[in-house]
Amino acid sequence: MIYAAHFIKLISRFALVFSLMVLVPTAASWAGGILRYATVGEPPSLDQHVLTSDLATTIAHHMFEGLYTFDASNAPVPLLASGETISEDGKTIQITLRSGVTFHNGQPMTSADVVASLNRWGEHGARGGLLFANVDKVSASGDHVVTIQLSEPFGPWKNLLAFINGGPAIYPASVVGNAGKEPVAPESYIGTGPYMFSEWQPNRHVELVRYENYQSPEGKADGYAGVRAANFDSIRFIPVPDVGTRVSGIKSGDYDYAESIPGDLFDDLDADPDVKTILNGSPIFGLVFMNSKDGPLMENFSLRRAIQTALDKVPALQVSIGPDKLWRANGSFMPAGNVWHTESGTDQFSRGDAAAARQMAAEAGYAGEPIKFMVSTNYAFHYDQAVVFTKQLAQAGFNIDLQVYDWATLIQKRAQPDQWDLFFTHHGFVPDPILISVMNDNYPGWWTTKEKADLKAKFTASADPEERVMIWSEIQAAIYDQVPTMKTGDVYTYNIASPSLQGLSEQTLIWPHFWNVSK
Amino acid sequence: MYSYIVKRLLTIIPTLLGASLLVFLFIQFIPGDPASVLLGDAATPEDIAALTRELGLDQPLYIQFIAWLWNVLNGDLGTSIFFQTPVTSVIADGAETSVLLAIFTMFWIVLIGVPIGIVSATWHGTWIDQLAAGGAMLFASIPTFWLGLYLILIFSVGLGWFPSSGYPSITDDGGLANLRYLILPSLTLAAPNAALITRLIRASMLDVQREDHVRTARAKGLHSAKVVLKHIFRNALIAVTAAFGFTFAMLISEAVVTETVFSLPGIGRLVVQSILRRDYPVIQGVMLTIVLLYISINFLIDLVYAWLDPRVSLK
Repeated sequence: MIYAAHFIKLISRFALVFSLMVLVPTAASWAGGILRYATVGEPPSLDQHVLTSDLATTIAHHMFEGLYTFDASNAPVPLLASGETISEDGKTIQITLRSGVTFHNGQPMTSADVVASLNRWGEHGARGGLLFANVDKVSASGDHVVTIQLSEPFGPWKNLLAFINGGPAIYPASVVGNAGKEPVAPESYIGTGPYMFSEWQPNRHVELVRYENYQSPEGKADGYAGVRAANFDSIRFIPVPDVGTRVSGIKSGDYDYAESIPGDLFDDLDADPDVKTILNGSPIFGLVFMNSKDGPLMENFSLRRAIQTALDKVPALQVSIGPDKLWRANGSFMPAGNVWHTESGTDQFSRGDAAAARQMAAEAGYAGEPIKFMVSTNYAFHYDQAVVFTKQLAQAGFNIDLQVYDWATLIQKRAQPDQWDLFFTHHGFVPDPILISVMNDNYPGWWTTKEKADLKAKFTASADPEERVMIWSEIQAAIYDQVPTMKTGDVYTYNIASPSLQGLSEQTLIWPHFWNVSK
Repeated sequence: MYSYIVKRLLTIIPTLLGASLLVFLFIQFIPGDPASVLLGDAATPEDIAALTRELGLDQPLYIQFIAWLWNVLNGDLGTSIFFQTPVTSVIADGAETSVLLAIFTMFWIVLIGVPIGIVSATWHGTWIDQLAAGGAMLFASIPTFWLGLYLILIFSVGLGWFPSSGYPSITDDGGLANLRYLILPSLTLAAPNAALITRLIRASMLDVQREDHVRTARAKGLHSAKVVLKHIFRNALIAVTAAFGFTFAMLISEAVVTETVFSLPGIGRLVVQSILRRDYPVIQGVMLTIVLLYISINFLIDLVYAWLDPRVSLK
């Protein structure tokens, strides 16, 4: 009996300890001044020059700023710049910097920092090569003036400087002077933004804290432009991979904001007074790339058009996304209302005509060769849409070999032209069509026809906005004609927030931002 | 005894070397590479090749392995490609969560599984035994992700008693009070494991209570509680010890579903995330640590056997 008594005594002690822990207030009661953002995972790094991860930008654009940013109409406006002058031949751009801006390490931002940042981005950045293929030199002309000397006029220069994702964030020269392709380390996350880097605890959180000496741009808040007020003491980006936990966390008050909620929960959450749903105003869109270097689709544009004709995008969007409010069967590469929106070529977007496709394929010389279609399960909507498309293509007589991989494997395989014929990916919204991956000759798919090269040269050489829109319309028509890629429709992702958050827009522009937001 | 300990410690070295080599080769055979994951979808094959060179991953495999092994022998597990922090600190951070979660879970297992196992064996064949068996089957059958989500809905969203997810370190703000973050996850993990331990203890005790020394103890007139706890339960524990040990190791290294549901920064999730990101140094470091953990627990189980049963001699 004495053993039983000891056992019970031991249990009682543990129970007491647990009880005391339970009585301690839970997380919701120590939330003051901290915004808790539940992310779907962790970004690979926060270095904006070399990475194009949307999650990385969602965090990093609170601490890194570029020379320009976008207003609510997606027009580029000055951020760290105060203005610019352009020579008559369009080849010399002089950008004046705002004075009084300091980095998070206390050092003033000067033209030397801007030159070093632009040069590193141009040489090693994800999107820098697009601009720097036309740049002869970037130099400092005094402490607060930077001169970009172009070899040829380059219309999209300001859009490229304003797009922070894979873009030219301004770092101190001491950080990026000798940096290469490898992302800079967290201890060098030194920017000029309203929040500064505090710590990154792997699998736990990335924490930013308010930068007390922040020099905000002036003017009414408009998109990412205008005044930026850091109202929170800190923002914590917490990886919460399970969607059920992200939703529960918002309802229980453990999180203030949660991203990437599936479409099938939208109607319930939209009707829930304890949750605020926030649509992303800039859609992402699926893309099925075709191989221009190898295999049966190489240069066989007729066969590609046959594949395009077989697809009906609406059932794929219904199956993969759900509620009508979250998708559009939009064939234009830019959403309706955007300055770049054009219907050119879009009559071929979603024909879903199996009989016509079968006949076109026969005329193109297709004799049932297997077509390797790579897709990843890392993104549920990729896989769901690919399954629908595979069925539609089979009905039109195509022999599709659907190959399912994890994302890392797919990225490696798509670099090898003999490994695939089609692969599925998706694209985030970009403010200038030059940034769409199909415009990059080196992007897997390798669309490098003469028609494209001629149109692209005209498109980048023009600085006239109206002319550029016209040329883009021709490029989109060429995409539907040569089918280097097939757009699968617009997807409007959405996030959820606690109703207690004040200052949130009804829609996010591209990435959510939390300056001018409080609770 | 001491020579046994020395011998066992010496066998750890070739085991770790072999495991390291296997893990290294296994990682290299997985398609995909960290550079392409790091740079993302917009990267071209040229970008990926350039970063691969910068990371030193274009070196021949044997050079990479020897360099890694040399660093390990010098106490350096390398630097995480993604977090750009030492692998040892990444593992230490995950280990805090996993070890504490395993301890909490073992506490629930002992609190719930052991008494029910004893009761079930003592009154075997009665309605109490059948009730315990049914309960054990039920909890062993419930998927942990389902149980975890329902515990969150009831105790976090509904009653607001516990945080829904996450775990701030006990060295952060909140201190020991942060342990409350582990209560729901540990209950989730304990449910199926307590059921298993219940069944094991019951079966083991039924075997022991048929032995002569138990009959002798009862014939001497010992109190039945003393017979059960001292003569039956203690001897039954010998068979259950290995299950306790390996359950503890499994709770540290394989609790990935529970860690995902509750967003815990533990070892299981770290392994899965590192594999998906192809963060080679972290995968190698964590796998080495897990191998070491299993070897150590195996070793400790042998020592505990000898302590529980004087007939066991370690040579």
